[in-house]
Amino acid sequence: MFETFAHTADLGLRVRAPELTAVFEDAAQGFLAVLIDNPEEVAAVEEREIAIQGVAGKVDDLLFDWLNELLYLFETDRMLFCDFDITVDEAGLKATARGERFDPSRHHAAHEIKAITYHGLKVAQEEGGDWLAEVIVDI
Amino acid sequence: MKAAYTGPLERVNEYCWRIPRSYKQGMRVDGLIYVSDALVEQVRQDQAPEQVANVATLPGIQVASLAMPDIHWGYGFTIGGVCATDPQEGGVISPGGVGYDINCGVRLVRSNLFENDVRPHLDTLVDALFRRVPSGIGRSGKYHFDARELRRLMLEGVPYLQGRGLASEADIAHTEAEGRLEGAEPERVSERALQRGADQCGTLGAGNHFLEVQVIDEIFDANAAAVMGLEEGMVCVMIHSGSRGLGYQVCDDALKKLRGVPEKYGIELPDRQLACAPVLSPEGADYLGAMRSAANYAWCNRQLLMHLARETFAEVFGRPWEALQMSLVYDVAHNIAKFEDHRINGGHKKVWVHRKGATRAFPPGHPETPSLYKKIGQPVLIPGDMGRASWVLVGQPGSMEQTFGTTCHGAGRVMSRHQAVREAKGRRIDEELAERGVVARARSWRGLAEEQPDAYKDVNLVVDVVDRAGLSKKVARMRPVGVIKG
Repeated sequence: MFETFAHTADLGLRVRAPELTAVFEDAAQGFLAVLIDNPEEVAAVEEREIAIQGVAGKVDDLLFDWLNELLYLFETDRMLFCDFDITVDEAGLKATARGERFDPSRHHAAHEIKAITYHGLKVAQEEGGDWLAEVIVDI
Repeated sequence: MKAAYTGPLERVNEYCWRIPRSYKQGMRVDGLIYVSDALVEQVRQDQAPEQVANVATLPGIQVASLAMPDIHWGYGFTIGGVCATDPQEGGVISPGGVGYDINCGVRLVRSNLFENDVRPHLDTLVDALFRRVPSGIGRSGKYHFDARELRRLMLEGVPYLQGRGLASEADIAHTEAEGRLEGAEPERVSERALQRGADQCGTLGAGNHFLEVQVIDEIFDANAAAVMGLEEGMVCVMIHSGSRGLGYQVCDDALKKLRGVPEKYGIELPDRQLACAPVLSPEGADYLGAMRSAANYAWCNRQLLMHLARETFAEVFGRPWEALQMSLVYDVAHNIAKFEDHRINGGHKKVWVHRKGATRAFPPGHPETPSLYKKIGQPVLIPGDMGRASWVLVGQPGSMEQTFGTTCHGAGRVMSRHQAVREAKGRRIDEELAERGVVARARSWRGLAEEQPDAYKDVNLVVDVVDRAGLSKKVARMRPVGVIKG
């Protein structure tokens, strides 16, 4: 599950999930909800394979790079993704992402995301075993 | 990060407060914040003063880590922050001191139309501008540049557009740095940045970016206003945008490349977002070459946006824009780093001045001020929120003496986006603005809600500080009558 939180001029994304792959999936859903106001209107009609190389022990950088990749695919291909199959291991992340191209007549634009930032970037396992991730996006 | 600042803030004079160097280990200079009694309590509300102190630890920093009255929390560096570093003393260059939106800035276009000429056609005009000027997310511009053309545009800046009939000699003369930073190295701009920038030159973007039709409300310096061709009641166009996805990507690439670099040069940083490299290092040179390219792209972006606005006015009023005398008053950058000559401790030095949410304000007689403005000083453009006011100022000698030729850049947010949306629940911000005589068009309700006037500090209070502190002088105040947002 994800929620957004206020951060001065920008927005934060907070994700809690029982396992790491779900953190990446929920963060991507959160990313979509920052971009547009009606994420439920995005249909899974196109598919993209995404691979991101990881560095052992740097799962926060992996989350940063993952969201950055989604931003890049939106900016250059107008792709909005709503459905994911993700695997995460020491080598990095592999994902099949499904979605469709942004259509301003159906998708209600909410924010332009300038960048994913390093400020307060956090991915950690909590005492009960759940994962908590926080990332702030520059609007 | 939301916590209030509890460190020292000592009064220097009526408009300046100091964070002494002794506050924090590693500070090489004091922090100085230009702010009035009316604003100082707001400044303490977040960690921005702590960021001013953090910047004071950067190698090679000169005189003081400075902040303007529109100071608020930013990534690493505060918004409204000014920091000058000397390369000869190991001075660094930091992408965080420029910001994600490299050369975000403002331009002002005058006209020979007055409010009475425009009022009857205001809805038509604003609708036409909204149709023709691309704004919001996921929208391409009218202009598309392939990779080869983009590289030339980034190398040559606005003069490249002159070759295509999209800019005039006068436009170039009235753009900061004449629309071109020397030393741009487009080959240092990544493929990703080129792709993000390919169809975004000539697009407004979203967030706080805007195009406004404004009316000059009051003149404060009749002589300076006359030199700029500004009169009470005159209709102007103000454009606020930057380097779009290309610039954001250049900053993002630089932050990634700088992972581990401060450590390599033995630079200890109190915050990861202050990532930097010595100016005189391969990593520093790499960022500078790319940053200057993105800055040139941003000037071209605002030039193309102005061109679209001129075409729209011509269509609506049935006369060419030249006949409407829509000349560019000036264009300023407020997110940039420039290599400039400044007087420091009695001598002259060339330093890298980082201005992040801060505007250059060169005084009368400065060699970089265009000939038309030599006697009055460089025009400074301060956008406010969409309900209140924007300002034209001119640079004053005090800026060279105190702030490396710099003044404020805008109002600064006081409300978070969440709070602004909560406050706007069940309201129609566009209708409220219409009651105040402002026709607003935006791509999203949320965009208008988040950018509503109450979300911002009163720009008039900010301008009062820089005026009284002698950094820049009031010339004219404008009020919006038409607003285009993303």
